[in-house]
Amino acid sequence: MDRSGTLLDTIVAQATPPGVGAVAVVRLSGPGAREIAGGLMRCDGAAMADWPERSSRLRVLHRPGSGEALDRALVTLFAAPGSYTGEDVVEISTHGGLSIPAAVVDACVALGARRARPGEFTQRAYLNGKLDLTQAEAVGDLVAANSPKGRAVALHHLERGLGERIADLRGEVIGLSALLVQHIDFPEEDEAPTPIDAIIARAEAVAAKMDRLLATAPAGELLREGAVAVLAGRPNSGKSSLFNALVGIERAIVTAEAGTTRDAIEAVVSIDGFPFRLVDTAGLRSSSNQVERLGIEIAHRYLAAADVVLYCREAGHGMSEEEDAFVQSLSCAVVRVCTKWDLAPGGWTPDPSEVTVSVVSGHGLDSLGEVLRDLVFQGVVEGRDEVPVVTRRRQADLLRQARAEIAGFGEALAGGVPAEFASAHLRTAESALEEILGVVATDDVLDRVFRDFCIGK
Amino acid sequence: MSGLRLSYDVVVVGGGHAGTEAAAAAARLGARTVLITPDLTRIGQMSCNPAIGGIAKGTVAREVDALGGVMGRATDAASIQFRMLNRSKGPAVWGPRSQCDRALYPIAVRRILDELDNLDLFQELVTGLNFDGRVRGVETRGGVTFEAKAVVVTAGTFLRGRIHVGGAAALGAGRAGEGPSIALAEALEAQGLRVARFKTGTPPRIDGRSVDYSRCERQEGDREPFRFSCYADEPYLEQRPCWITWSGPELQEIVTANLHRSALYGGEISGQGPRYCPSIEDKVKRFPAARRHQVFLEPEGLDTTELYVNGLSTSLPADVQVEFLRSIPGLEDAKMTKPGYAIEYDYFPPDQLLHTLEVRQIRGLYFAGQINGTTGYEEAAGQGLIAGANAALAVQGRDPFVIDRDQGYIGVLIDDLVTKGVDEPYRLFTSRAEFRLLLRQDNGPTRLGTLARSIGLLTSQQRSALEERLRQEARATVWFQKHALAPEEINGVLAEAGSAAIERPVRARELLKRPGVDARSLLNAAGTGAPSFDADVLATVEIDAKYEGYVRREVERASKLRQQAEFAIPGGTPFADFATLSIEARQKLARIRPGNLAQASRIPGVTPADLQNLVMELRRRASSAAVGPSAAGPRDTGGSSGETPDAASQPRVRAVPGAAQGGLSTEPPGR
Repeated sequence: MDRSGTLLDTIVAQATPPGVGAVAVVRLSGPGAREIAGGLMRCDGAAMADWPERSSRLRVLHRPGSGEALDRALVTLFAAPGSYTGEDVVEISTHGGLSIPAAVVDACVALGARRARPGEFTQRAYLNGKLDLTQAEAVGDLVAANSPKGRAVALHHLERGLGERIADLRGEVIGLSALLVQHIDFPEEDEAPTPIDAIIARAEAVAAKMDRLLATAPAGELLREGAVAVLAGRPNSGKSSLFNALVGIERAIVTAEAGTTRDAIEAVVSIDGFPFRLVDTAGLRSSSNQVERLGIEIAHRYLAAADVVLYCREAGHGMSEEEDAFVQSLSCAVVRVCTKWDLAPGGWTPDPSEVTVSVVSGHGLDSLGEVLRDLVFQGVVEGRDEVPVVTRRRQADLLRQARAEIAGFGEALAGGVPAEFASAHLRTAESALEEILGVVATDDVLDRVFRDFCIGK
Repeated sequence: MSGLRLSYDVVVVGGGHAGTEAAAAAARLGARTVLITPDLTRIGQMSCNPAIGGIAKGTVAREVDALGGVMGRATDAASIQFRMLNRSKGPAVWGPRSQCDRALYPIAVRRILDELDNLDLFQELVTGLNFDGRVRGVETRGGVTFEAKAVVVTAGTFLRGRIHVGGAAALGAGRAGEGPSIALAEALEAQGLRVARFKTGTPPRIDGRSVDYSRCERQEGDREPFRFSCYADEPYLEQRPCWITWSGPELQEIVTANLHRSALYGGEISGQGPRYCPSIEDKVKRFPAARRHQVFLEPEGLDTTELYVNGLSTSLPADVQVEFLRSIPGLEDAKMTKPGYAIEYDYFPPDQLLHTLEVRQIRGLYFAGQINGTTGYEEAAGQGLIAGANAALAVQGRDPFVIDRDQGYIGVLIDDLVTKGVDEPYRLFTSRAEFRLLLRQDNGPTRLGTLARSIGLLTSQQRSALEERLRQEARATVWFQKHALAPEEINGVLAEAGSAAIERPVRARELLKRPGVDARSLLNAAGTGAPSFDADVLATVEIDAKYEGYVRREVERASKLRQQAEFAIPGGTPFADFATLSIEARQKLARIRPGNLAQASRIPGVTPADLQNLVMELRRRASSAAVGPSAAGPRDTGGSSGETPDAASQPRVRAVPGAAQGGLSTEPPGR
């Protein structure tokens, strides 16, 4: 296993919980922190070397490659050793929400950072003598305490067997290596080596298994990060009241005047133990008010990323053609909610597909929660006894890397590249799988050869 | 005190493949050296099959040669068949192999040793070592005392060796026809070294005149023989074929029916044997589905009709050996000349050694070869060379000489031995080397010749041959980069390789990148004006061009590993006190005592988390040592046994400024 990455590389992660707050912090730590941050700001790392200790500057961040502007953000340098981790740390305060911080993290990865493993910043702080072990453990407990129990249980359930599955895949990669070892180290044996075509076919089978596992990554991420549930509807259709009722605190400003919510507001809530990132948007209507228009644009952006939309209308009000068309146009799941049920005119009946709620009486909130949970998570949790779920992006990244190496291996062999060169791909794939598992490699390949084949004069 | 007393810098005990290389290396470095062995006529004896090389092993033989050693040249001088294995595979894993004349090989070794200044030979059985806080020399059976500052023990299978042929009582022996070394084994054990036991076996030999060759497949050597040595041009001998036949179900039945009479299976032998060199009993028992097994009939020499029956290693009684031999096509009337036998012997688990092959607890004592739990002539030779060189360097008070894993198979071999230990007789395979694309049979001079030159391990003749080779390599690189081939010159070759024709001149190196196009045919196509280059040089150029991306990736991986190797772990580190490490990691680290982080990372049972915590603990110790007196422990590092151990204790560690690496300083702790 290639473990050179464990000590000297630069790690990155969003330091604030996803989706909460107007500001998000992306943190880089390691010897390359300045250089990577410099890359985002389109200047070299040396430029950052002149920054005074603990200084902050407002900078436009760019996506590497395309150069597209990602955000305008406050960049702060904490030079080693006076930082949280004891290494060079750069903290980037971006606008909050879902997409921008994730895009900044992705950009850092593209510039050479590695996604931090859970708790890795704290681990580095510990390694560099900034925390003692008990302090480090306390930090870990604090982080873990924020996970809703239901989700933790679900994750545990879904991840069960993932380690075994990755270990199996590693075993298969080692098996491929063993077939090549037969070609390379033991060409004069009793049994002729396995034909190259058969090895390619086996590699394809391994790749297919990896694909099956990778296909679970979106579901896993949903569980880990939360499903995006966007509240939409005409102004004053009760979205913010519903948002507050679901969040349980007075988070959004609720007034009787239409158009109060000028920007999107997010909160992570646990509904029946499952994580939702609830987004309250500005009312969907054309507006001449500039600020509000911005909010509407943001609303559209959220809608594109939504896992489910709660479309709200007030009891007693009809749906306009425009609204119907809007609901029809949504590509994600939609729950139609009839709000302010307590104010419904006598004899008025809702659409049978609607969930009726009243935040005043609490009517319907439980059933809305159940509908949401079932709609988003039922498919994720059920029917997964066979395939465990990849729930962490780090796992998915490494698995993808292994998958790419297996593809490269098959192409190399098919293209006539000699076995010893092609097998370099397998070594990298194996390393990636081992990094998921955290195991130490020994002479596994040779063990396999000696077990499976009668070798030796 | 009475008796003969002789004084040397370095004493080498044993005259096999490890001992001869150790003695020759020490002598080439200018140390006054003596090689002591019970029978001087058996120096360089091939006690197993009469062949040198093979896949990975052939590369090691060439590495030994590039380092100025004996094996490559002796092989060239005694070879009666040259064959490049894996020629149909990529050039990175070609394996040069030679069938040698068993009688001529030792003669060639002796001739090469006799050319060396500073080297004496002495026939005696060494029975004891003299210690006085460190090694002071050896004693022999006849009462001769050799004083020395360093002793290299290369005892092969002689330490408490016991030979087994089924049905007969086990016989104390070092090798067929030679007595074991019991006193020496006891003397070493008395020093508190851990000892364990391995076994290995040999097949029977037969008279070639009794073989029906018409029923065997003839296997010729390469039509164009190559050479193992890059420095010397030994004349070629007459070449001989090998023969291949197959055992069938009948042999399987005979072996199965007599399994209880096998020394290996009768419970008489307890030691672990090699999985890759199984006895016929093992093959039949472990792989019953394999109904037939290849049998190679290898010539023992030019002046003998004897054949070595490779593939049928056994400890069954002689009558069963004759019976199963005669079940094989072509051997129906075979006359056995020597029965096969199994041998078990002491070895000292090699995790007790430093990377210099010096015994960790006994300054001045070095081990090489089978005593370290390895098998194979080439593995023995590689270790012998390193042990002998380090013995001489230590006596001279110079820095140790260690080959890294990305520099040579010898480096892989020794690092594996020292950091992982062995649980079966250790043999090299290309798959043990994580940088095998860099460790090839063609590039030994560049990889290792230059290293050897820099420490004075080459003779003056070898140095000039190396320089000529390096010049040729540079010329070839330039020629392929600069020389463009015209369409009319090369399109024929391209068509043959199934490659698209060119329309205007293209540089040779670009054409070389195409699949199926080789360097030799480009040179030929360039016509009579083109220079000529050695096959090795062409292979190097070709691999660099064709597999550039793969080679670059491997170089990058190697440089990452070197970063870790720069993080030194000081000698005397109290691993057992590091509470943040797993108990298993603490135990393993305390036993193996790695000299740097890269070595620690290869120890089975030490996890990435352990490594990180180890860094932390070392940093903590370093900062507390900075205020108190030096925390440096006793000598126990990657060190030398020279007269100034402290100065030389970490010479190979390159200090790296901690600040440049961010918070994780790679500054050696203790400063």
